Amino acid sequence: MLSRDRYAARFRRLKEAKQGALMPFTVLGWPDEETSFSIIKTMIDSGASALELGIAFSDPVADGPIIQAAAHKVIENGYTVIQALDLVAMARKYDADIPVGLLVYYNHIMAMGVEKFLEKASACGVDGVLVADLPAESSDEVLSTATAKGISTIFIVSPLTREERLAKIVEHASGFIYLVSRLGVTGVDERNADRDSRLAALIASIKKVTSLPVLAGFGISTPAHAEKMMAFGADGVITGSKIVDLVSKAEPSKMESELSSYLKQMVAALNSVKV
Amino acid sequence: MRTLGKFGRYGGVYVPETLMPALEELEEAFATIVPGEEFKTRLASLLTDYAGRPTPLYHAENLSRKWGAQVFLKREDLLHGGAHKTNNALGQALLSKMMGKERIIAETGAGQHGVACAMSGALLGLKTEVYMGEVDMERQKPNVYRMQLLGTTVHPVKTGSRTLKDAINEALRDWIANLENTHYLLGTVAGPHPFPSMVKYFQKIIGEEASAQIQEKTARQPDYVVACVGGGSNAIGIFAEFIDKPSVQLVGVEPAGKGLDTDKHGAVLALGSFGCVHGMKSLVLQTKEGQIQEAHSISAGLDYPSVGPEHAFLKDTGRARYESATDEEALSAFHELCREEGIIPALESSHALFIGKRLAQGEAAGKSIVINLSGRGDKDLHEVMKHVK
Ligand SMILES: Cc1ncc(COP(=O)(O)O)c(C=O)c1O
Repeated sequence: MLSRDRYAARFRRLKEAKQGALMPFTVLGWPDEETSFSIIKTMIDSGASALELGIAFSDPVADGPIIQAAAHKVIENGYTVIQALDLVAMARKYDADIPVGLLVYYNHIMAMGVEKFLEKASACGVDGVLVADLPAESSDEVLSTATAKGISTIFIVSPLTREERLAKIVEHASGFIYLVSRLGVTGVDERNADRDSRLAALIASIKKVTSLPVLAGFGISTPAHAEKMMAFGADGVITGSKIVDLVSKAEPSKMESELSSYLKQMVAALNSVKV
Repeated sequence: MRTLGKFGRYGGVYVPETLMPALEELEEAFATIVPGEEFKTRLASLLTDYAGRPTPLYHAENLSRKWGAQVFLKREDLLHGGAHKTNNALGQALLSKMMGKERIIAETGAGQHGVACAMSGALLGLKTEVYMGEVDMERQKPNVYRMQLLGTTVHPVKTGSRTLKDAINEALRDWIANLENTHYLLGTVAGPHPFPSMVKYFQKIIGEEASAQIQEKTARQPDYVVACVGGGSNAIGIFAEFIDKPSVQLVGVEPAGKGLDTDKHGAVLALGSFGCVHGMKSLVLQTKEGQIQEAHSISAGLDYPSVGPEHAFLKDTGRARYESATDEEALSAFHELCREEGIIPALESSHALFIGKRLAQGEAAGKSIVINLSGRGDKDLHEVMKHVK
């Protein structure tokens, strides 16, 4: 299947089944390659609709302490960007159909070269890239190359993104829209109920200008959060820091079962609300 | 945004979407509030009556005699707060006040920018919080106390190299979470647009004064202008007025740490490669695959693995050249200024002094050299005494 079609196929199927998408996130190679691969397989086996996989960067400004610590551990281990991409290829081998997005900081793309990086990503089975520090106005540096390689370009919309920006973003976006559902960096910290109440309106305004699915991330760590986002009109959720936190606290022998049980609860929550 | 703030292939806006509304708002305020009469009048009066501008241009006769060139020191060390950082902190703090922000946050390396923000915050009634690497808090302790006395909360940064680079990361993360009521008062000509242009705007007064002062003293413009480069704000500040005067040679001085042949230096312009960090494209000390490396310098204020994008551009175009001084060389210049002129310089500025001396004793013999004495050395006494045998 052409890689860019995996998102469309998966979201179409979810819509028909009236299910919300669960997109778990982890850092590639964390805490080591073997465990990282078993985390990814557990995600797939527990009902993940799509994956969002991060490449460890030394200076991840969009990330909170949990994902920072994971990234620093990966770098300390000497795990390379190429190894991370090869791990994506292993995931792709394990599941030919699941959409896989890459969360990457721009310096890694620049260091390898845009063409070479996206070529390698595409060869490893990546369906989409979200460049954490590449806003829409600077994105022409990767857009055409990504499109040529069949890789979707995923963009973030935040609660403070104004209408003109939203128009610019959806013009460049493909795959899905990543809605940052609360201000701040990634993490599991408290949500702000007052802000949450404005999310429904925001999701509605995004849906007015694009037919892409909207997935809510940042601070989503419980089934209750997931239900709330679905009730606000989201098409699914992204959960990352919670996973890294859960895995780091779990006893190694119980890690897979604890992770699996968390993911299944999330899937159940996402399916309990009519889409 | 109105523009992307490019300097050739450098600069630009490379930040998470979550920060874009703040940068748009800031660019707009910089374009509309700063050129206005009210802002200009208030800032001018603060710079004169509160901060002590203009700072003198001092003809250092003892050094001139010893080194064999006419040496002039631009005395930013005499500015309130003890470094050029006050120019920028007052400017941005006043701007954030007029934008209606209640809180300012900042990163600091040497603590001079943190102190400048703490003073400005106290003066203008802005809640002030400063991020500082744990390593830097240790080596610049007096400045931590100064900030605290001025009512600022200092947050120790314990991630990564625990120096300036990581303090910037933490400040950016804070800003992403609090951008509605908070201004990030970045301390150098780095980061995403509009910071490199805005900080330059607030620092260019150094060069404007120096140019007029040397004209008055010598009836001509200098042959050389020398300044140390961390992020690059004191250097851009003094260079700006001279960039269009081709007879003036501009020399930036980077920290060579323990030597350019070791991995303990901060010579980004000499040895860095093209990359993207802290919201800008610039030269960066990094691994082949793009992990940012730690810089090293005896001076916390120069300990930064990237550099302001305009310096990378000035280097590429050849309009400025960049030399470096080691920790040892900076220390030797530090002591020389103490003994010869009775001035205790900041370790950062001592890097510029050392290269000023080397020029004077070589190609610039008999010429006039303006050295930017970007700050005073009180903060460094503890660090320097460790090296005095
Ligand atoms: C006295 C002094 N000079 C220079 C610097 C370096 O900064 P910049 O290169 O932005 O002037 C610092 C930074 O803390 C400083 O305190």
